[in-house]
Amino acid sequence: MTADLLAGSGRRAVTLPAGKKWRFHHILLAAAAVVFLLWCADGVDLRPKEIVRAVPIIGTYFARMWPPRWGFADSVWKPALETVYVAIWGNVLATFIGLPLGVLAARNVVRSSALRNLAKGVLNLFRSISELIWAIFFVAAVGLGPFPGALALGMNYGGILGRLYGEAMENVESGPIEALQATGAGRLQVILFAIFPQVVPQFVTYNLYWFEVAVRSATVLGMVGAGGLGFELITSIRLFEWRETGLILLVILGMVTVIDLASTYLRSRIY
Amino acid sequence: MNAATLDPVVAGTLSRTEALRSRRLMKAAGWGVLGLAVLSFSGNQIGMNPVAIVRGVPFMWDFFTRLFPPDLGYFPLLAGATVESVQIAVWGTLLAIVFSIPLALLGARNTAPHILVFHATRVFLNALRAINELVFALIFVSAVGLGPFAGVLAIAMHATGMLAKFTAEEAEGIDKGQVEALQATGANRLQVILFGVVPQVVPAFVSYAIYRFDVSIRSATVLGLVGAGGLGFSLFKTMKLFRYHETATCILVIFLLVLISDWLCARLRERIL
Amino acid sequence: MISIRGLSKTYPGGVTALRDVNIDVKEGEFLVILGPSGAGKSTLMRCINRLVEPDEGRVFHNQEEITGHRRKLKEVRRQFGIVFQQFNLVKRLSVLTNVLTGRLAYRSAWRSLFYNFSQADKLIAIQCLARVNMEHKALQRADTLSGGEQQRVAIARALAQQPIVILADEPVASLDPKIAREVLTYLKQVASELGITVLCNLHQVEYTREFAERVVGMSRGTVVFDGPASELTDDMLHRIYYRDPGSGDAEDESR
Repeated sequence: MTADLLAGSGRRAVTLPAGKKWRFHHILLAAAAVVFLLWCADGVDLRPKEIVRAVPIIGTYFARMWPPRWGFADSVWKPALETVYVAIWGNVLATFIGLPLGVLAARNVVRSSALRNLAKGVLNLFRSISELIWAIFFVAAVGLGPFPGALALGMNYGGILGRLYGEAMENVESGPIEALQATGAGRLQVILFAIFPQVVPQFVTYNLYWFEVAVRSATVLGMVGAGGLGFELITSIRLFEWRETGLILLVILGMVTVIDLASTYLRSRIY
Repeated sequence: MNAATLDPVVAGTLSRTEALRSRRLMKAAGWGVLGLAVLSFSGNQIGMNPVAIVRGVPFMWDFFTRLFPPDLGYFPLLAGATVESVQIAVWGTLLAIVFSIPLALLGARNTAPHILVFHATRVFLNALRAINELVFALIFVSAVGLGPFAGVLAIAMHATGMLAKFTAEEAEGIDKGQVEALQATGANRLQVILFGVVPQVVPAFVSYAIYRFDVSIRSATVLGLVGAGGLGFSLFKTMKLFRYHETATCILVIFLLVLISDWLCARLRERIL
Repeated sequence: MISIRGLSKTYPGGVTALRDVNIDVKEGEFLVILGPSGAGKSTLMRCINRLVEPDEGRVFHNQEEITGHRRKLKEVRRQFGIVFQQFNLVKRLSVLTNVLTGRLAYRSAWRSLFYNFSQADKLIAIQCLARVNMEHKALQRADTLSGGEQQRVAIARALAQQPIVILADEPVASLDPKIAREVLTYLKQVASELGITVLCNLHQVEYTREFAERVVGMSRGTVVFDGPASELTDDMLHRIYYRDPGSGDAEDESR
């Protein structure tokens, strides 16, 4: 075949260029990765036989959730709405906490690296403490109910959003910033007129996305007494009332889908 | 300086500016009132109460004093739990990667074999995404027993949903030209997907998978609340036993773990992209 | 009226951008600084309005020194309007708001918190826009405009500062020739109407010949020519564009 394609071109044979060779350290790396994975699997009791056995068992549990106990919807719609309210307020609080901290953490806003690192440290602290732990903390402070749940989301998501805000501001085009500095505008004015207008669409996107995530998180905060569907959920599972569990899961699915659609629509309107 | 002395062009522009500004202010005021109404209503429903926060300060302070100083002697005892959390996250993400590849292809309009398959997959993925890992963990603990195995499955379920939907959306947004070129060579559907769609999606997929691993570490640390292994179990155990200094150590370890995982994932993403 | 004495600047990393530059600028002039890229033109401009601080040398405005005093930064900068090659408008803001940002140095920071400007400021901004014939697009977003239009808005922004000098750093390098000539015409016309001195960095010889009254030629950080545009002979151009500091004139002769 090769000979036919080269006929008349004056060339004899074709040699392929040398490809990537498997060096010794590649093989070592691959072997190490495999060993690592096997060690992890051992640590979590993960065995192929177990997975194969587990799938049908899990299947039966989900089967027990069908048909959902529709009558239970009466006791569920109020906590469901509560979950949404908690997510709304959690998001609002998160913005109030994250915005100032995020601004302080941005390289092009604050010159003192000590201050920036402090802001980044606080944001990291808020981010890494799970909202459940924050919820427990706030329940101890203000009592049971959805209020501590909103506070907990505010703290955790404040850290997340704050870091995103800070990074967005750092990645802004520097041209307009230089231009405004050149007119003699002060720091605050440069931030307001050159940086903020560029990042506002991103901020909105972040807020919409994390609002969706907040709704999902808020569904479990009830497990520690912080309101929303979590309490009903954990109770129904503990009492093995699988059909009620099924209904609650369906309600959660419905809520999240509606919010997903609404936020997609909103996002298309903003741009 | 009154309007009569101005050039008509300038005066015209000025009045247009004013008109636009007042229209904008009215709109903003309208949305603002609506927003405040929503916030006020929902805040009322959930009992938002700034005064309660102030009153709660002594409780928060009490909490803090009980936490500090963290019992550093407890550190080594947490080593096992920390390792377990990481292992849960590793395999949860790995399983998610494996399962999300076919699901992503089934869930993308341009690669699904049939429109019904596409819709069914999307609904399924939405279900996986909507349900928190903790909820999955609860159910799985009932099904397969306490321990990290349930945790791995729980993380895998949720992460599969997230990763698959993300990848499916990426697959829908690819450059169609490259796909057309392959179709023109006469390749069959599977070949077109493998050689035309997949290579375009791989960088985003890898990047998002690394991000999911980062998130999984965070989740793995709390799954212990429901008995699915990891640091969470030590955390809640020490709280129930009122050994708050040890709780503080747990929180510290979680904080460090998340920090390291963040840094690692950021570096990995840089190296790969 | 502007005197530049002994200006030198070396960037960290060893690049010497300016070497003992001395220039006098008369009031109301349209001065073109001509030179290839890397000649130090941008650095020179940024030293004048102190976006960059020079290592040595001083700049005087009407015998008053403007370099070296940290406190007077705002007053110095607002007297010098600057037009950039990349326009540097804030894309998501309206044309009018972009021009209004030229007035920011005249207002306190807290007043600007709500993005509002006084009636007087708005009037100034609209009049500046009218001078470059862009007032009909005042309410549009800046990124809906073409390149030439954006640069005219940038000129309006510089005018809104009511400056004594406009510094134009390669204002037309991103524009095609017809639009470029339009923009340069606006710049020269408006400046002379308002009595504003213009320092314009260019690397295009044709534009220089068309628009400049006086030319300062720069090459590798030093001034190699300073005189009226009519004296800009091919020989002079050679010195500006082909001078190689390492090998001396011998190599130039052999080209």
